[in-house]
Amino acid sequence: MQQAELYHLLKQKYGFDEFRPGQLAVIQHLLAGEDVLAVLPTGTGKSLIYQLVGSVLPGLVVVVSPLISLMQDQVARLNYQGEKRVAALTSQQDYGSRQQLLNRLDQLDFLFVSPEMLNQPAVLTAVRQVQLALFVVDEAHCISTWGPDFRPDYLTLGTLRNQLGDPVTLMLTATATARIRDDITRQLRVPTAHQVLYSVNRPNIYLAVATLSDETAKRARLRQLIETVAGPVVVYFSSKRQTDLTAEWLRDVTGLRVAGYHAGLSAEDRFKIQQQFMTGQLDVICATSAFGMGINKADIRMVIHYHLPTSLADYVQEIGRAGRDGQPALAVILYVAGDEHLVQSLNDLTSATPAEIAADQQRFARKQPAQDALSEVLDHYWQRGIDPARVSEQFVARAAARQRELAALLRYVTSTTCRRAVMLSYFGEDAPEHSLTCCQLPGADLPLDQLGLKRGAAPTTSEVEDWEIQLKRLFLLNF
Amino acid sequence: MFEDYLLRLFSVTPRRAKAIFNVLRGRRTVSTLFAGLTYGCLDQLDSWHGVPLERFLATAEALVNQGFLASPQPGYLQLTPDGQQRVAATTLYRPVALSAFQTVAVRQFAAEAQLALQVVSEAVHQQRRYYPVTTDPKTQARVKAWVRQQSRTREVAAAVYAGLHAFLGQLDPQLAAIFVASLTGYRQPGLTDAQLGVRFDRQPIELLMIRKDLTCQWVAWLQSHPKDPLAGLLAPLVKASPVSTSAQRTVRDFSQSGDLNQIAQNRRLKPSTVREHLLEAAILTPRFPFKRVLSPAVLTQLSDGFGGRQDVADWQFAEAQAVNAQLTFFEFRLYQIMRCHDATS
Ligand SMILES: [Zn+2]
Repeated sequence: MQQAELYHLLKQKYGFDEFRPGQLAVIQHLLAGEDVLAVLPTGTGKSLIYQLVGSVLPGLVVVVSPLISLMQDQVARLNYQGEKRVAALTSQQDYGSRQQLLNRLDQLDFLFVSPEMLNQPAVLTAVRQVQLALFVVDEAHCISTWGPDFRPDYLTLGTLRNQLGDPVTLMLTATATARIRDDITRQLRVPTAHQVLYSVNRPNIYLAVATLSDETAKRARLRQLIETVAGPVVVYFSSKRQTDLTAEWLRDVTGLRVAGYHAGLSAEDRFKIQQQFMTGQLDVICATSAFGMGINKADIRMVIHYHLPTSLADYVQEIGRAGRDGQPALAVILYVAGDEHLVQSLNDLTSATPAEIAADQQRFARKQPAQDALSEVLDHYWQRGIDPARVSEQFVARAAARQRELAALLRYVTSTTCRRAVMLSYFGEDAPEHSLTCCQLPGADLPLDQLGLKRGAAPTTSEVEDWEIQLKRLFLLNF
Repeated sequence: MFEDYLLRLFSVTPRRAKAIFNVLRGRRTVSTLFAGLTYGCLDQLDSWHGVPLERFLATAEALVNQGFLASPQPGYLQLTPDGQQRVAATTLYRPVALSAFQTVAVRQFAAEAQLALQVVSEAVHQQRRYYPVTTDPKTQARVKAWVRQQSRTREVAAAVYAGLHAFLGQLDPQLAAIFVASLTGYRQPGLTDAQLGVRFDRQPIELLMIRKDLTCQWVAWLQSHPKDPLAGLLAPLVKASPVSTSAQRTVRDFSQSGDLNQIAQNRRLKPSTVREHLLEAAILTPRFPFKRVLSPAVLTQLSDGFGGRQDVADWQFAEAQAVNAQLTFFEFRLYQIMRCHDATS
């Protein structure tokens, strides 16, 4: 297909004149029948790539996605862009509706599915019976960072792809070190895939770290940042409960419009809060990392991490939600010495000694059910007949990898030199020269004036409207 | 709080806790339904669908530990004086229309209506690009089909507006405000239960209950206004009777032949299943033809023995058997059900 035709399609279908960095190259490789691993920063319109390819090639686009909430966001987004033949196959649907969906796969253009679901014989059989335009592995870094511990089913994606007849495959991720990229192509058995890489550097995001003496000082700094820096703001936490509690507290003390967001909310509540935020009816969202994977809000001005992220890769991904409009934005980690122990203990939850692993294999051999999250994970290995020594090796390697990731993150947090340089060198990139609007060095103030990120007057909370007026606004035109 | 809603289901006499919880969770075994009838909570059948039994049991245990409930014998709970006081003092919203759950797929209707209202609201403002409030394929497909059956957008929107205005106008203004503020549509994502709780100074669980009850009230309103556009969305989700199809058929067969064993044979059911069907129907339909099953002689005997006693749940089958050794448990239970209906009619 000629380049001109692709531009025509871009204009006609999506109303854009230009491709974003990386999009065109990836699309051309895929249309030429080549597999692609694309490392593109968040906000570069990754879904446009498979949408456009899907509209050119006949058949179904299968998108493997790690989270149900992410899939629902993506289906909603495609619906929004006018794609009607889209569905997600999830464990939340009952047997009947799933079966119905499988029976009409040939009428779909896009199917979102988790690896677990795709692994089910009935699903695999149904997908094998339709023509595939493209096989997409979204958030492909999950194979490496989530694979051995949380999502053993990701390990089977390579086999699944074989069983589907080795369709043209697109692996998408926002961040991946060389090690992770190798991991992805090895697991998916596509060693010759083209790699299209774009820098993880986001020059318009100012990188800051506030080192504080204790939890009280941390809360005070959070409040001060929220009150003085321009919004909209996302604050990330590592616990669900803390998102709600802090949202309530911030609402009380700042008078701003603040909401909590986490995977424990109902689908309806998640939708409402996302949309309130998107349409400017919320100033601050307090969220777990569940927030934002499917969200495309261009004008987020500040991303605060109240707790440490688990790795620099996650961090880059999460702050990448700020400043997508290209305007200055601010990323801040609030750090109290010892915070890394929380990450450490989260890591420990999913680690196990060789003795524990061997004992769990005995449990499986005795046909006793899994007792905890760890044995549930291990069950996946035992069911595939993998031997305990090999599993132990994987666990040891994984624990070491996590340790390295945490150490790299701490180097970034405690750096006394340019943080951007530390971050980029981790991803094997060269850094631009440090400047006043690059990053915060120890002892320096936030250059809010230079960045143009001072908060304006607080928005007046809107008057509670009479229900009759509200109803008229909803259903009567020109009211 | 959830605790307060739970506490309201108990009284100063002992009640079988699990049976009550199973009524709320929508279990339809005869023993659960009978408990619902005798404890007067059948109107809440299925209204807490999906809440695990463990959650109920843990909450009940907490209430026992706090001294609001007591357990006079294993499996039974009753209000303590503190519990009575707490129930009397609570101002939590009291639902009035939850019986809709017996015959209507209320949760599915709520999902479809929410999407349908969003579609109409966006359409009347000529918006073609928006995020649908649900991506559930079944709900989307059914709403799409409904939209195709409607006339011109502006007329539908006007009719939807008129219907909602009429329905909400008869409610307490705060309830109307909650209903409208939770809707999703043009330039209005809608408020979550937690946000409504802040705005109206109520607890989130209360909002959950209010919105559930308002949906049920709306369902009832739509059933009496069949020309409203939303009534078309509701109609396929309504069953004619709360009784299961199979039990309905048994009742029909029975009213023709009157012979339980013959029905069992014809339908290849166990006689005990046929009796269960009749009990289910008797519990859920007050107009059940009790006197076709209970002979005048049996009725006389039973009303001689139990005529003056209101504590239906506590009657012992053994007492009745002592008077008439031929009496079956089925007849005894049916008489209990009849008396419950008589007491409430
Ligand atoms: Zn720098």
